[in-house]
Amino acid sequence: MTEFFEWNRRRFIKSAAFVGAAPLVYGGNMAQRQTISSQRDLQGQVPRKPLGRTGVQVSAMGLGGYHLGSAETDQAANEIVAKAIDYGVNFFDNAWEYHDGLSEERLGKALRGKRDRAIVMTKVCTHGREKKIAMRMLEESLRRLQTDHLDVWQIHEVVYENDPDLIFAPNGAAEALLAAKQQGKVRFIGFTGHKDPEIHLKMLSHDFPFDTIQMPLNCCDATFRSFETQVLPEANQRGLAALGMKSLGGSGELVKFGAITAEQGLRYAMSLPVATTISGIDGMQVLDQNLRVAVNFQPLDASQMQGLRDQCRQVAADGHLELFKMTTKYDGKVGREQHHFPTVEQLPL
Amino acid sequence: MPQSSNPAIPLRKFGRADVQISALGFGGHHLGGAPDEKTAVEMVQQAVDGGITFFDNCWEYRRGKTEIWMGAGLKGRRDKVFLMTKTCPHGRDAGLALSMLNESLRRLQTDHLDLWQVHGMAFDNDPALFIRPNGAAEALEKAKKDGKVRFVGFTGHHHAKVHLGMLETGFPFDAVQMPLNAFDANFKSFEKQVLPELNRRGIAALGMKPFNGHGEAIEDGVVTAEEALRYAMSLPVATTITGMDSLEVLHQNLQIAQNFKPFSESEMQELRDRCKQDASDGRYELYKLSLKFDNPEARLAHHFPLDTEQSEVKDMLGAPQNTGHPFPEKQF
Repeated sequence: MTEFFEWNRRRFIKSAAFVGAAPLVYGGNMAQRQTISSQRDLQGQVPRKPLGRTGVQVSAMGLGGYHLGSAETDQAANEIVAKAIDYGVNFFDNAWEYHDGLSEERLGKALRGKRDRAIVMTKVCTHGREKKIAMRMLEESLRRLQTDHLDVWQIHEVVYENDPDLIFAPNGAAEALLAAKQQGKVRFIGFTGHKDPEIHLKMLSHDFPFDTIQMPLNCCDATFRSFETQVLPEANQRGLAALGMKSLGGSGELVKFGAITAEQGLRYAMSLPVATTISGIDGMQVLDQNLRVAVNFQPLDASQMQGLRDQCRQVAADGHLELFKMTTKYDGKVGREQHHFPTVEQLPL
Repeated sequence: MPQSSNPAIPLRKFGRADVQISALGFGGHHLGGAPDEKTAVEMVQQAVDGGITFFDNCWEYRRGKTEIWMGAGLKGRRDKVFLMTKTCPHGRDAGLALSMLNESLRRLQTDHLDLWQVHGMAFDNDPALFIRPNGAAEALEKAKKDGKVRFVGFTGHHHAKVHLGMLETGFPFDAVQMPLNAFDANFKSFEKQVLPELNRRGIAALGMKPFNGHGEAIEDGVVTAEEALRYAMSLPVATTITGMDSLEVLHQNLQIAQNFKPFSESEMQELRDRCKQDASDGRYELYKLSLKFDNPEARLAHHFPLDTEQSEVKDMLGAPQNTGHPFPEKQF
């Protein structure tokens, strides 16, 4: 399903739904036109918002950990983190399994001497296994991140129908979260997943004292198996800090297809009632593009939000721009192994 | 094959209507996989003689071949069966749906259908497209009023929410078709989310994919064919539609259905529990997940991108008829 036909894309863009859509820009093109690294016109800071009921303030845009591991060099990753901090970004996402630990190592190095200015989150990847494994992963994450505590520790990739059962089983990952909090190794706890709002709701139905909850939020999600309409209100009502991700579809799919511009996508996600929008940034150009939106950010109004939802409604309806909700292709390797599922390569998807 | 052996396939009530249909239904799509028309005709005849009264089909299956073959097989037996086919406007206008009906009637060699359903509700905007002015809902209404069809319904295999969205339109459906098997019970479940609602409303529930579409779980040894079919038939449904592409498969299914004894609730639960772990990632129900299982005609009609590496898409684009765009394309 990776190769969608160019004629289809063109056909879609030409179709009635897209008359009047903004010109399409993504990644390189946009960054070339709008790079701010050598300009002085970008002044100000990314605004801060409350992290749920925790009393902590986090930047409205957070730096995604996965893409930090995709940056070309350690030095590039360092520069991204340093510049993000200069512009007020203080929320840093990561996961024990990203790039086999490289993402955590890079963030640890980049935050040397700056740890107290950062809200560091990473994720534990038991994928249904017991507490003891979670605690071992925590120690490894702390070591790689060069810190003695995490601000937020989340259960990673809650995406299978039986995950809530496994996590809340005796001696499961939920017990590890509580133990780590009691030991003072983590301040706040939560979970994340990209697959199905029902699974998130099943997690919440346990009335476990989560502080944070992470989910995909973007213009297509608004009308397709929507975390925005099904999970976000519930998170807000419970006072959990909602962490948005995949504002452009995970790897810019919404923009590449021509459904929205990168700016529209990021603006939309950041205007939702979330604590932060985690954005994957693997190079300076993308960082500049995002900072241009996030610095001195002003939210869209209700009618602008609705306009973007309507603009994406038709193209969202089959889920091809949010394949992480659909196919197993975006399931993590470790998670599939631990669930004794066949690998992604073995599946005819 | 001894046709008139004593055991008969049980009959069940079709929703609230005063009509009985066989608890096993004959799936139309696989009929087109029979080696030739002669075999297909023989299969249909033996199925009727073996006690199957419910026959499923669809305007777009195999570019019309399955309706033609079924029509030939039912010659002289039409009054013994409850014949269903589906229309495929995929969001387009009522007029298109009705022109497909006339074509289906001609191919099936009949002047009326017992049940006419809107095919393949798969996308989140399908309910809105169905109920809009001049949408397929108006075609169902008109066909019923004109006496060309007795009952109306819709089908889909993709997502329970789309089915619930169709019910929320308030349209008076007589039947609803959905995948029901022991895996579905623990994965984005139609059994849990849609079936109770249909029973509550008195709408005839039609199960399909008792073998997960192509028997994948049976090949892998998770369940046996008999367990799978008995599970589906033991649910509160009017019929369980299953595809058969050879006399051998027909005989096997007739055998199970003629000797059908429903599972007890504890046997049902045992089977659900056995399948739970394998069901959790959806790999045995890819029709609920992968876009590759989308009907290319439906994707085309909705202006969704197509994957032209797919053989189904190549077929569609190369076919001379029933191509998904023999009619003016609807602009949304």
